[in-house]
Parts: sequence; C-alpha cells; structure tokens
Amino acid sequence: RCGALLTLTLGSQTRAHRSPSARYRCRMREPVDKYGRFPFKEFLGTYNRLTESCFLDCVKDFTTREVKPEEVTCSEHCLQKYLKMTQRISMRFQEYHIQQNEALAAKAGLLGQPR
Amino acid sequence: MMANTYNRVTSACHRKCVPYHYKEAELSKGSSVCLDQCASKYHERMGKTLTELFMQDEELMKKTQQSSGPI
Repeated sequence: RCGALLTLTLGSQTRAHRSPSARYRCRMREPVDKYGRFPFKEFLGTYNRLTESCFLDCVKDFTTREVKPEEVTCSEHCLQKYLKMTQRISMRFQEYHIQQNEALAAKAGLLGQPR
Repeated sequence: MMANTYNRVTSACHRKCVPYHYKEAELSKGSSVCLDQCASKYHERMGKTLTELFMQDEELMKKTQQSSGPI
C-alpha cells in the first residue's frame, strides 16, 4: 500500500488514502526524526532539484519521444555524482560545526578561567 | 536555518564545481577539492558576514543609546 506514498503527496490521488487507518499504515513504515517529523518533504525537494538539474544537463534531443541510451547513461552518472557531492558537502558541514563548537567551548573555557 | 544554508551551499557549489559533462559516475579529483574549498569558503564568508552585521548592529545600538542618554 505504501508504495503509493508518492501519489499521496502529489495530491491528485489523496482521496483514496485519507482514511486514518491507511495513513497510520503508511506512516508506520516511514523513518521519523527525533521530533516525530517525516523527512519526506526534504526528500521531495532533493528529488525535484536533482531531476531538474540532470534533465537540463543531459536531455538534449527532442526529435524523438524515446529517451536515448546516451541520455540514460548521462542521467545515471548525473545522479551518482549528485549523491556523492551531497555526501561530501554534508561531511564538510559536520566538520565545520564540530570545529565551531570546539572553538566556542575553548572560548567559554578561557572566559571561565580567571574566577 | 541549517537546512536552508545546506541547500544553498549545495546548489552554489554544484553550479561552480561540478561540470556539466557527465561522462563518468565518479566525482573527479578536481571537483572534490573544489567542493571542499567551496564549502569552507561559504562558511567562512557567512560567519564573517554575520559577525560584521552583528558588530554593526551593536555599534548602532550604542550610538543611539549615547545620543539619547544626556537629556
């Protein structure tokens, strides 16, 4: 049932899934963060950005309806690169924040000393 | 705010560092280094800008207090 979760949030077919039991069943399988929120919105945002970016860069031939093999490989590479890029940036983010916290702690330590 | 910053860093560094030709699925060495530098520059810049804004605000506050002090 929850394979259709994407259609849930895309709005057009929410009617069938509005019953509380269906929502409950769907929610049971979703990962929850510590505030009890679902990161689905974030995922959708990332999905949209990624799709748009890779489409703009890779799909160039509009003389046919079919997606050409080159475009398929290009999209796959684009996806891999994007994911690796986001992983790398997340790592740097975390490192930066750890650094900041250490610096703040050091400052607080220095301030607290002359008592 | 963190998520917003993260999104901005990601899209900015993607535009600047990752070239449009997706010949292979791996990030090239140059792109990786570029991403690291991009992220750290962004943070440095943001941190400095925030600090400057904060200092300017403080100075402004002090000035208004001083000017309104002796009545």
